[in-house]
Amino acid sequence: MNGGIKKIGPFEWEVPVGYTENMRVPGRFFLSDELARELEEGAIRQLANVATMPGILKCALAMPDIHWGYGFPIGGVAAFDRSNGVISPGGVGFDINCGVRLVKTPLSPEDLKNKRELIEHLYDSVPTGVGAKRKRFRFSPRDLEMAMAEGASWAVRNGYGVQEDIEHCEQKGQMKEADPSAVSAKARERGVPQGGTLGSGNHFLELQEVREIYDETAAATFGVKVGQVCVMIHCGSRGLGHQVCTDYLKTLESAMKKYQITLPDRQLACAPVSSPEGKAYFGAMAAAANYAWANRQLIMNTTRKVFEDLYGLSAKEMPLLYDVAHNVAKMETHTIEGQRVPVCIHRKGATRAFGPGSEDIPHAYASIGQPVLIPGSMGSPSFLLCGTREAMERSFGSTCHGAGRVESRSQAKKELSGKKVKEDLEKRGILVLAPSYSSIAEEAPSAYKSSQEVVRVVHEVGLSRMVARLEPLGVIKG
Amino acid sequence: MAMSIEELAHTADVRIRVKAPDLSELFVEAARGMMQVMYGGCEEGTITEELALEAGDHEELLHDFLSELLYLCDVRDVVFCSFLVRVENTRLSAILKGVPFDRKQHQGTEIKGVSYYGLQIVKEEESYATDILFDV
Repeated sequence: MNGGIKKIGPFEWEVPVGYTENMRVPGRFFLSDELARELEEGAIRQLANVATMPGILKCALAMPDIHWGYGFPIGGVAAFDRSNGVISPGGVGFDINCGVRLVKTPLSPEDLKNKRELIEHLYDSVPTGVGAKRKRFRFSPRDLEMAMAEGASWAVRNGYGVQEDIEHCEQKGQMKEADPSAVSAKARERGVPQGGTLGSGNHFLELQEVREIYDETAAATFGVKVGQVCVMIHCGSRGLGHQVCTDYLKTLESAMKKYQITLPDRQLACAPVSSPEGKAYFGAMAAAANYAWANRQLIMNTTRKVFEDLYGLSAKEMPLLYDVAHNVAKMETHTIEGQRVPVCIHRKGATRAFGPGSEDIPHAYASIGQPVLIPGSMGSPSFLLCGTREAMERSFGSTCHGAGRVESRSQAKKELSGKKVKEDLEKRGILVLAPSYSSIAEEAPSAYKSSQEVVRVVHEVGLSRMVARLEPLGVIKG
Repeated sequence: MAMSIEELAHTADVRIRVKAPDLSELFVEAARGMMQVMYGGCEEGTITEELALEAGDHEELLHDFLSELLYLCDVRDVVFCSFLVRVENTRLSAILKGVPFDRKQHQGTEIKGVSYYGLQIVKEEESYATDILFDV
């Protein structure tokens, strides 16, 4: 490490004020020595850039899956004072409320005799990949408006799920601050045909088996046991969210001149939280976040239908364990130096990890903390964790979001054959269906950091606690 | 000098470097680079779109141009293959030609957005160049 970066704990590092010009607070990140070897300088620079933003509180944080992105580093967390701080699309990203949900089933792997048929049915039913649109479902303008306002509730009200699903989403699957009128016609146009589609890149729908339990009490509370088959869904707000980010980058860039804010990266375009421009972005972003919750609800509903057709399961027999957002800005209240402070928190590639007794946790999970879902890469394990009080104190109730890449997509495609990756995974009993071999090569397990090591760090630091490990059985990729 | 599109290393996203003898051609190369990433490119098409944009500076203009292409591809289900672009000061007019999107033929990586990170148009002796980072 250079530039005065100090290791201040077994898994904690500090980027001092002065690492780049105009830093208002230090940067802080959590890594093991093993993960530190792969840390890119670009990611540290981006963390330092975040520390220059007006109204930032305590420090600019990054989780152990930190890597080089745009604007904020991926894995970045920052809280801003709501009275004099800013809000930025660069702290959320293009895929607003990209997130993960985990659905339980009563099945064991032995029950999946026709696993290939199941994966093929799922692949045929959930549109994936570039240009994915649903043929049989399009939002009407009114439904789109309601989905942006109500999120998961809109979906359940219209028959795409059961009431219990809502309780088991972060923030009940709805940001009430959503302002659909702040979402452009272009964004709406993109959102209409894409409801219920997975998208591309690292998005997936995966069949998993609970292979190991680390915390029996928490696992029993979340209702998971060894040998149980679950379904993990990873996707976001599709073209609607991407367009909201694009639109507001422009709006907020002009606003920076108006509010005389100068920053080292144009992608950090921002405006005061309390300004009309900042409020408009937050309202539109919240509407896109709600669209993403409705989208994951639609995909889960399609998944349940496939399981109903093949195994006769009802929706109630496939309860939603939880749904988390990992690209989002929110208004929360956190304790800073003994004071309760209203903040605008940005989590970009980071997951909320509220501890026991916190607000906005399903009643049944209140004594354990919220479930935290960490997807692995294709072929590597995913993890179920729970939020902690320590996270509330040290990371504004936040933890990591995934494995993080170590190899670029082009490098992975050059070095690996998608066909070979698929065959190797099948030898391990993991069936993969994707639109092309290149999309499989891009997402090969070797292109990612070890999700196990990332999770170990947050567990050791106490930002969340390991509950269970899930291994993949089959996956459909975008 | 020749025009070029080069893919640079970036772990999470896709970053390209484009070069061209003048600004208008730089915009064409950037658009071709984006289509290459998203769809693997395509042959000459008959679907035509016209664009006119204005921005505060060249970087913003390029950002807006590529973002507009992304939007058009998404809502019109079209893959653009050829670009006639004219950049004058901070104004752009363009004629785009493309073909209907075909899932079997046009395979690539979905781009979520065009980032401003590292987007800086540099004028070298006989050419213009910039890096562009796409969120994928």
